[in-house]
Amino acid sequence: MADYILKYGRDERVKFISHLDFVRCFHRAVRRSGLNFVFSQGFNPHPVMTIALPLPVGMTSECDYMKVGFVTELSEQEIRDELNRSMPPGFTVYDVHRLRAKEIDLTKIDSAEYITETECAAPADTHIIMDMKEVVVPKKTKSGVKDSDIRPHIFSIEELGFENGIQKLKMRVSCGSAYNLKPETVIAALEKYCPGFKPVFTAAHKKRVFVDGSEIDMRA
Amino acid sequence: MITLKDKILSGVMKPTRYTGGELNAVIKDPSAVDIRFGFCFPDVYEIAMSHLGMKIIYHTLNEREDTYCERVFAPWDDMEKEMRAHDMPLFALESGDAVTHFDILGFTLQYELSYSNIVNMLDLARIPLLAEERGEEYPLVYGGGPCAYNAEPISDMFDFFMLGEGEDQVHEVMDVIKEWKRNGKRSKRELLEKLCGIGGIYVPSFYDVEYNDDGTVKSVTPNNPNAPKTVKKRIMRDFDKTYAPDSIIVPFGEVVHDRVMLEVMRGCMRGCRFCQAGYIYRPLRERSPKTLMGLAENLLSCSGYDEISLSSLSTSDFSGLPELTNELLKITEEKKIGLSLPSLRIDNFSLELMEKVQKVRKSGITFAPEAGTQRLRDVINKNITEENILTSTRMLFKGGWTNVKLYFMIGLPTETEEDVKGIAALAGSVLNEYFEIPKEERAKNINITVSTSSFVPKPFTAFQWFPMNSREQLIEKQRLIKENIPSRRIRYTYHDNKTSYLEGVFARGDRRLCKAIIRAVELGCKFDGWGEFFKFDTWMQAFEETGIDPDFYAARERSYDEVLPWDHIDAGITKQFLMNENEKAKQACTTPHCREKCSNCGAARFGAGVCTEKRGGANG
Repeated sequence: MADYILKYGRDERVKFISHLDFVRCFHRAVRRSGLNFVFSQGFNPHPVMTIALPLPVGMTSECDYMKVGFVTELSEQEIRDELNRSMPPGFTVYDVHRLRAKEIDLTKIDSAEYITETECAAPADTHIIMDMKEVVVPKKTKSGVKDSDIRPHIFSIEELGFENGIQKLKMRVSCGSAYNLKPETVIAALEKYCPGFKPVFTAAHKKRVFVDGSEIDMRA
Repeated sequence: MITLKDKILSGVMKPTRYTGGELNAVIKDPSAVDIRFGFCFPDVYEIAMSHLGMKIIYHTLNEREDTYCERVFAPWDDMEKEMRAHDMPLFALESGDAVTHFDILGFTLQYELSYSNIVNMLDLARIPLLAEERGEEYPLVYGGGPCAYNAEPISDMFDFFMLGEGEDQVHEVMDVIKEWKRNGKRSKRELLEKLCGIGGIYVPSFYDVEYNDDGTVKSVTPNNPNAPKTVKKRIMRDFDKTYAPDSIIVPFGEVVHDRVMLEVMRGCMRGCRFCQAGYIYRPLRERSPKTLMGLAENLLSCSGYDEISLSSLSTSDFSGLPELTNELLKITEEKKIGLSLPSLRIDNFSLELMEKVQKVRKSGITFAPEAGTQRLRDVINKNITEENILTSTRMLFKGGWTNVKLYFMIGLPTETEEDVKGIAALAGSVLNEYFEIPKEERAKNINITVSTSSFVPKPFTAFQWFPMNSREQLIEKQRLIKENIPSRRIRYTYHDNKTSYLEGVFARGDRRLCKAIIRAVELGCKFDGWGEFFKFDTWMQAFEETGIDPDFYAARERSYDEVLPWDHIDAGITKQFLMNENEKAKQACTTPHCREKCSNCGAARFGAGVCTEKRGGANG
């Protein structure tokens, strides 16, 4: 048995697929590919896969990761090409890494960089919240909506421009099981604290993820 | 880039219903084709994508270079609201383009309760509802599928109907339309006249309907020299060689039938007297196990599905079943694929086969005795005995199954109180079979479900003259069953009879119903097959406002000499045969199945399938 890390992403065409539907979609791609994935035991055998973080409905991404197992060792190139041939158009596997020890631990992913595009009449001045000590907004948790101080979880926001009524931002925020901050929540905070900023609609793209401040190294 | 569609889709349930882009969906350059075709299924994505007929027509049309066939489904309520709020017309899934000026829209007519959705979809597409109001700039609108055999209630909205099986027919129609378009889409009338030359094409506007004073149909007469007096359905004579797609679209979200479907045969040899499908798809024709294995392998490898099911009206009657399942199990076991066999008959299914198919999980099994007493089962020609039922369920219980669902109809012709009580009693006998098995030989937690639906008389069946039971009668019968269920281990569920009533009105309706359907949609009716949308009182209001007495269609006994609204349609079986069957039903006299003896239904003139098999009977 051999474990591999896949780095993959999705574009506009398939961004509305839910996490669970993606899992099923990947199962089918595995069957089509003919690669000798490790299957689970039980009534409904399916390929064993561990996805680092579920991707929200509506978000595109170029930096999702999952761990998979193969019965025998295969070349990284072959896995990548076969999966790219088998996935529906809109998904791409960028890179495959044969896991030898624990050189990549997907459970430790703790921050992510997003590019957001927000439709608005006037742009937000993001310094306002970056200069605040506390930014308290309602945030969805497992036990309902609660007020939460998101400021410690915003590491940077960069304004990439405002054109044709669309403000573009690059933001790095916490993600993962310890604290997950959605870009939409940051936009909601900007709406709350930046006068004149009235976001109509936001689309987000996940650009990079980090473990302890550095990007995952697929060549490790 | 933020698009309007992005914004809309972010706010609706299950957005992948509307995005297209699924694996194996066909993408073409619209400017490079002659014909833009919208295959319309008047229900929500999950239902539409489960339909085998759509898959066939979609792929066979897209194999033509000159045609781009796209899918067009009814948006769910939340999406419809967004579309109307943002002025977004009904669009096709593949290209996202509005269908308003497609060349042709083909609606599949699978059940009467989808009629309101057809009106709503045309309205969303900004296409005039009535055929006579649509000029050449709008798509031709046609219908096909089982309800096309009596589509009179919706015929004002359709330019034409395709009767019977469309695999060849649809190509002949495309050729004529392509020619017509090439010549500049002049007179639609001329086009329709040409289409009349294709077998199975019915142009309703070429027929005048006259009525008697009592409201019954007096006559249906062609008003155009090109229109045949009766329109005869089409069938595919050589079913083994009939087109079957070797590709299948794989939806992102879960749909109702989320698996590979293998159509092993078409038609049914049984002749159950209530069953429209059993009559209109005659004669029974089979595919060879070899052809089916080839299809199965292609479909599994191109889709990645982990389940395959055999599809037909009565799978255990398929003569190639043992050979096919043996071959299929070789692949399914190796590739960890589930095999399911719906539509098994209780008198000839094999436990050995069930064991093979359900190795680990003994999921539930459904049988359809249809009626509670032998007499009534003979009336409907179900041809199974109580002994068949008890033997089979005993075998299942011994084999470890504990979930058995028994399906019945209430409101069948000649039904008495005794027949109704017989449903509860039969369920009790099945339960006794379980208890008679020694404890150590049976699995725990027996679970028997009795389910009843209300019988709806359909055109082209032996019971097409029969008055449907009133809602009060049906409620009383449901109560009677509930009271007589002998054990708490038997659960009783029943189907809402309000929707059945509406189905009963449309099934045998005539052209005068169209205005009521349009009115009902104006009043907000849609998705009538869905409990959360069905508005019975609104429908009754629509009937009243348009001067329609729905009981005239559903609850009236018709005489043999009455002209039926569908008499100008030839579904392949003779009216005389249906009369004979109806008379035999009244005597509780059964008819043997096609492999035993030919009963001269009329389908033999197609010279296909079971009609050409050698058989033991006198007429064989």
